[in-house]
Amino acid sequence: MKKLYQAVLFVLLCCLTPLVANAQSFRVQCPTSTITHPNAANNNSEPAYTAPTNVNGAIKCQQISGGDGYSTMGDGTQTYMFSFGPLSGLSKIANGQPGTDFPSEFNVPSPSALLPGAPATMATPSSGTSVPIGFGYNGAVGLTADLDAIADGKCVAPCLDGHVDPRPIIDVGVLNGNIPAPLFAIDEDDEFFLTLTNVGMIMRPDLFEQHTVHFHGYPNASTFYDGVPDASVAINIGGSFTYYYLAPDAGTYFWHCHITPPEHLQMGMVGQIYVRPRQDRVALGGDLYASLQQQELDNRTKCDSTQDILCSNPLPAINTAATAASTVVNGGHSGGYAYNDGDGSTYYDVEYPIQIHGFDPSFHFVGMTFNPEQFADMKDKYFLLNGRSYPDTVTTGPLATQSADGKMHFSQPLPSIINIPAGKKALLRISDLDVTEYQTLASLGIPMTVIGYNAKLLRDQAGNNLYYNTNSITLAGGESLDVILDATDTTRYPSGSVFYLYTPNLDHLSNDAENFGGLMTEVRIN
Amino acid sequence: MRTMKMNTTFSKSRLLLVPVLVMLFAATVYASAPGITGTTFNLTARDAFISQPDGASVYSWGYGCSSAPSGFNPPATLMPGATCPTMQVPGPTLIVMEGQTVTVNLTNNLPTSAGNTSILFPGFNVTATGGVVGLLTHEALPCPTPTACTTNTVSYTFVASSPGTRAYYSGTQGDLQVEMGLYGAIIVVPTAVPTGCTAVGSIPAHYVAPGNSAEADYRLAASAYDNPRSCYDREYLFQFSEMDPGIHKNALAQVTARTGCAATSPTCHLDVPTEPYHPAYFMINGRSMPDDMDPNYAREYPHQPYNGNPHMHPGEQVLLRIIGQGRWQHPFHEHGNHVRILGRDGNLILSSTTAGEVNLAGPLLFTTTTTPGLAMDGIFYWTGKGLNWDPYGHNPASSDSTAKLPCTPDANGYNTAATTALNYYEWCQDHNKPLEAAPFGDVAGGGPATLPDPNILANGAWFGGSPYLGPNATVRAVGPTGTTPPSGTIANSPTGEAGFAFMWHSHNEREITTNNIFPGGMLMMMLVDSREFQIDESN
Repeated sequence: MKKLYQAVLFVLLCCLTPLVANAQSFRVQCPTSTITHPNAANNNSEPAYTAPTNVNGAIKCQQISGGDGYSTMGDGTQTYMFSFGPLSGLSKIANGQPGTDFPSEFNVPSPSALLPGAPATMATPSSGTSVPIGFGYNGAVGLTADLDAIADGKCVAPCLDGHVDPRPIIDVGVLNGNIPAPLFAIDEDDEFFLTLTNVGMIMRPDLFEQHTVHFHGYPNASTFYDGVPDASVAINIGGSFTYYYLAPDAGTYFWHCHITPPEHLQMGMVGQIYVRPRQDRVALGGDLYASLQQQELDNRTKCDSTQDILCSNPLPAINTAATAASTVVNGGHSGGYAYNDGDGSTYYDVEYPIQIHGFDPSFHFVGMTFNPEQFADMKDKYFLLNGRSYPDTVTTGPLATQSADGKMHFSQPLPSIINIPAGKKALLRISDLDVTEYQTLASLGIPMTVIGYNAKLLRDQAGNNLYYNTNSITLAGGESLDVILDATDTTRYPSGSVFYLYTPNLDHLSNDAENFGGLMTEVRIN
Repeated sequence: MRTMKMNTTFSKSRLLLVPVLVMLFAATVYASAPGITGTTFNLTARDAFISQPDGASVYSWGYGCSSAPSGFNPPATLMPGATCPTMQVPGPTLIVMEGQTVTVNLTNNLPTSAGNTSILFPGFNVTATGGVVGLLTHEALPCPTPTACTTNTVSYTFVASSPGTRAYYSGTQGDLQVEMGLYGAIIVVPTAVPTGCTAVGSIPAHYVAPGNSAEADYRLAASAYDNPRSCYDREYLFQFSEMDPGIHKNALAQVTARTGCAATSPTCHLDVPTEPYHPAYFMINGRSMPDDMDPNYAREYPHQPYNGNPHMHPGEQVLLRIIGQGRWQHPFHEHGNHVRILGRDGNLILSSTTAGEVNLAGPLLFTTTTTPGLAMDGIFYWTGKGLNWDPYGHNPASSDSTAKLPCTPDANGYNTAATTALNYYEWCQDHNKPLEAAPFGDVAGGGPATLPDPNILANGAWFGGSPYLGPNATVRAVGPTGTTPPSGTIANSPTGEAGFAFMWHSHNEREITTNNIFPGGMLMMMLVDSREFQIDESN
């Protein structure tokens, strides 16, 4: 009986398949409402968190390209990469911000034609920085009205249903790779729609590589959206795949391609993602302990150490009576908390994502040509913080690189300067995707307070915070941690002072043959 | 250049090559933490060749049994073919009871030119007798003819003072001897069953799903430590190590050149440089992927009996015993969820030293860095909580009764009342929540995501065939062959297993290669299986 049923079902499915197969290859997805967030008018900003009534949060969307590009190393060398680039939030990415959009920002067609190399080729740099002025577009590249659907009466104009024109996607996406890959930032309870559009690697026409996104560290991940090509599906060149996740527990995660990882990660397909806690959405002056008690009332958000061995934020052992700080603006994020701590101990005024990586120039040269690669003797010679080596780490604005198409592209949009207003605290969201060795990052001057590790609050099952002070942290590829630099002592850390973050792996303070550079940046007290 | 071609071929012609690769490990085989039991262990150190998936036979040294052990755990009734050869890498896993006095007798049957050898048991108060006094412990003199020198045996005696997993390894010229393979694991299991844990042999009812016979209990104990938070349902042991084939070749050449030399001869020793170090093999339990996913005690690996092929059902607490051997650190990344570290080197990490303290204070990690000589015990589970869609693809409008199973939340939100239900431990808040915007097959629409046209996707060898867990949901969603005909899902068939496969691997990604071939090295697939699928850890 069951076999017959399966056979019938199979026939049915064969009939169904052609319906699906007529879908276009490139497309984006950013519904304005879902069954989880049914009211479209509420999904374009973060709501306040008051009580565990259904899933709070909003909808967030982003589009990225999977392809290739070039970046500039600290010694000026132009380096070929396999890489992701932004295909939405272009202005935000160029300004060093997360490119993540609400539907009202994402579902916006470009008001003018996008040129190859955009936004680098369409922006007017202001004096002193290369931060683009006059380019403010953050919508989904390629998004356009679905005229066929309108003509068929299936959709009413403007009908922005995810249908895209592939031409601007190719214009903008080809050779537009970034290191690190576009930054994502979402809030707990958000639904996140990430569209990966595979534009192909034009410098390697011999390859027909798929790409994927692995959300590294997501708890209770689904294999379908885990990005491991062996365990799921991977998108071919000319297609788009939309990853869907309800935001996991707050923390500093990171992401990367999972196709032939020793190759694609070394070649540059690495990025950052962090999830901000519900505690950021507690109304000004709200009691943080009481707010965490509210979270304990919902099985989805609670942490009962007697029942669940894999949760890290039970109610704090000591109720500090901390209240939501004045600078924590709902959705504005001028400051915030790293985790749902219930005691305010993970508060920060400014946050900086910092990704550690390394490039082996020999491997990248081989990767640009058609020669066989070797893995066992891979040896990094460029040591990168957000894709840059010192002194580029302290250059403001996006770094641009001329690619093989003769156009400038914003190859490394994220500076690594840690600007801290005098008397304030900075959260460093540090991740490492080096594929060859462990790297150490030390702080000269301001001690590092480690508050989170592998996207989990450092707290024991009894509610005691296990934070520790140190002057160095060591990470391997595949690890992350959260560090607070506390500059509240304005006597020790006065305005105008400069401190350094650098690696005590002294051979990593180099840019290939140059013996001064590498894994180093500045902490500036403003 | 042969090695490299493998890489390009795999990544560029995945669909063609994958079936071939998967043939190598398509048999359904699962790990556990097999080893030998007793209070007295008669071990030997010997040389032999171990096998690597690039076809290499690598000259190695390893510990083994000089006489039959007093027992195996899991016993041969549960794990047929259990054996303890005279040389194996890693060495035999010694399984002992907390509080017992343990004696390990070691005979050195390495080639005479290899010199003395020994075993260190860090974490125990060891009394060593016999042999000669070496730098770190007593060492056994070479004895290439085993019957000729029974008096050369060295003995190590200690009390297995506290539960947990620990490493053991050579304490003689470690830079060479550990590299050559002289290391292993010792597991001390608690004698008492903590409150709330299930004693070994009392198989929890929820191991039995409709249509399945009971799954046997392969645990060594009810808990990892004398602590009620350390109960577990399954366990796996992973030892990470690397090899520089140049060192092994050099050792073989010198051993061969000095065959038959007398220990008293001044030239009867090895001079093998161990720096600069260029490892090319990166192994879990002495095997590289895909060999690590073949059975325990498989005939084709006579000197590498242990595998790495974890499986589990949703909600099961799975104990990971992780050891760094060799000389490098390896960032071991567990896809799917975090691991709660219980203890290191047999030291339970608690939030206070107060008597009776049960609260754990070890970190939650998604990357458990293995460090030479360091052992960790941790607990992992996977439930799918918080996905915001029903991973079983339940469809209340279906005509298939299995598609309409109820989900009754317990105090924590999981479906645990019906212990033999197919969706035991389902996360009920997401029950019946659709994933896909449009209905497809026998799964409902109305969800948030539109899945792409299958024709523009490449399928992986371990893809279950649909986004959903288990054969019933997969067949309802996409038919019996999975998403894309012809199916690429050979290792995890849509009708047979359709598990959720997660890659567990070293995140120093160049270490998931075997002598420059990708994929390989420190990589294994962990499968979360629906209870429709019977997990059999027997080999």
